[in-house]
Amino acid sequence: MKQIILIAVIAGIAALLPFVIGDSPYFIGVLISVLMMAALSSAWNILGGYAGQYSFGHAAYFGSGAYTTMILISKFNFNPLVSMVAGIIVACIIALITGSIVFRLRGHYFGLASIAVAEIVRLSALNFDFTGGAQGILLTDVTLWGLDLNSKIPFYYGMLLVLVLTLGITLYLRTSKTGFYLQAIREDQDAAASLGINLSFYKNKALLISAALTSVLGSLYAVYIRFIDTSAVLDLRLSIEIILTAIIGGVGTLWGPVLGAVLLVPLAEILRSNVIGDALVKHGVVSETSGLGVFLKENLAHAHVLVYGIITVVCILYLPKGILGFFRRVK
Amino acid sequence: MFFLQSLLSGILTGGVYALAGIGMSLVFGVMNISNFAHGDLMMLGMYLAYFAFTLLHIDPYISLLLIIPTAFLFGFIVEKVFIHRIISHPHQNQILLTIGLGLIMSNTALLAFTSDPKILTTSYSSSAVHILGGISLSVPLLLSFTITCGITGILFLFLSKTTTGLALWATSQNREAAQLMGINVAKMSAIAFGLGTALAATAGALIAPTYYIHPMAGHTFLLKAFTICVLGGLGSVVGAGVGGIIIGIVESMSSTYLSSDWKDVVVFIIFLVVLLLRPQGLLGKKGEQ
Repeated sequence: MKQIILIAVIAGIAALLPFVIGDSPYFIGVLISVLMMAALSSAWNILGGYAGQYSFGHAAYFGSGAYTTMILISKFNFNPLVSMVAGIIVACIIALITGSIVFRLRGHYFGLASIAVAEIVRLSALNFDFTGGAQGILLTDVTLWGLDLNSKIPFYYGMLLVLVLTLGITLYLRTSKTGFYLQAIREDQDAAASLGINLSFYKNKALLISAALTSVLGSLYAVYIRFIDTSAVLDLRLSIEIILTAIIGGVGTLWGPVLGAVLLVPLAEILRSNVIGDALVKHGVVSETSGLGVFLKENLAHAHVLVYGIITVVCILYLPKGILGFFRRVK
Repeated sequence: MFFLQSLLSGILTGGVYALAGIGMSLVFGVMNISNFAHGDLMMLGMYLAYFAFTLLHIDPYISLLLIIPTAFLFGFIVEKVFIHRIISHPHQNQILLTIGLGLIMSNTALLAFTSDPKILTTSYSSSAVHILGGISLSVPLLLSFTITCGITGILFLFLSKTTTGLALWATSQNREAAQLMGINVAKMSAIAFGLGTALAATAGALIAPTYYIHPMAGHTFLLKAFTICVLGGLGSVVGAGVGGIIIGIVESMSSTYLSSDWKDVVVFIIFLVVLLLRPQGLLGKKGEQ
């Protein structure tokens, strides 16, 4: 109950944010990224955190949502919501195929197999013609119920809605039979099986929920950006970012993935948009024309992945249960 | 003729893949860790060969004499500083730590060397020998394959004849039992990771003359090395050797008869089929998964 109120309060504050900060497209854009990564990471957390099945291939579901939606809208003029549902179906089919292969495996093999499936999906999208190949797909025009889809606001609330939905499902699962079964599977598969839990049924159930939510986010993202290619929506890097966000916040906790996204996405944004480099130049710490200034300007934007790497290493070594897990232990 | 040509060039490329696979399998066998930084270690080997060639004017095959000890030392230190702390952690944490280390390596390379691909062109880069009237074999690949065979042979002798090598075997068979027999397993882990790094860097240096050198090149090789290890049975050194050759042949055959765009897909499908039908690998023992 306490958690439901907390979700409602935080969602309420988030819903009011656009009114507070005004309609600065830049800040709304960053907030959309935060909400999206929080939702992606929370959806992954259902499978990875609660069922203990670390999928390293979640980009496949994000990408299937994004690609299905874009193909249906741009080539067949489908309604965006219908194509989003189609995306869920495609993602679920891929999830079922993946599940039937990878859930027979454990430990190292599970992670490796999930990468292999995601890479097959990525390379197929890259090599087929109907997916636009290396050029990707561009969407020129899209309409839905007279909403202004050129504005970022509808997507902000769309992402927020999916995040609240994901957190709600997580909360429900936590206290339901399925949730307890999943946690039993995470703690000890053999013990869970010997108590009569149908391992592959419950693992597949968690994967399907997780994949469907991830696919919805992929569809939203695609219509929001209006351009997708394999490196944006199907890359292994995306799968890894999703996991890192959950790890850094706290795997298997309700709020861990959200906390991870709130910390990491703005950090990446700061590095990417060169705020630090510009500030150093502006305050005269380094001159713009000096060697260091030029180097910072050209390269700092690439450094956010490096910072991700450093944070991951530090986190695994010193905070293996993430930030929330760390505080829970202290308590 | 096409068939023979693509079979032979597949075997030659596969030899170098095998070297990368053997390094990963050794680390897996001794430490029970999936090393996701393996591809990036290969990438560092490529750059080492490139800079040894452009700055010091050392032939890439000669520069192995420098690269192998440097990489071994680097791997040894990385194990002592990072990997060693998480050796008893859950698999997923080990995977994430090595992913993190890989990201640091590839993105440091990106900052230091920029994203422009570099090409290492030796005087014999594009030369080929012709055998059996019509089959041409690239000289750099032929050299790489010969060196690979030599290194694999030396490694095998080291593992089966020296005390340290036997201790490594023992640790990979049963860590606890090895410790009880007085083997310093912490030291063995560091040596195994050092050897794994040296093998990855060697494989990188060996393909440098025939491949674009790029900070993100490790990604492709990482997935290949995993496929090779699983094919041969995770932890099996001989299996990784065989797996490497098989993957080389599969790639070359699918480029010839299908399309080079789809060769990686074929490799991954084989990977999944092996996982489904024989998760212990082609040469692995049953019950190890």
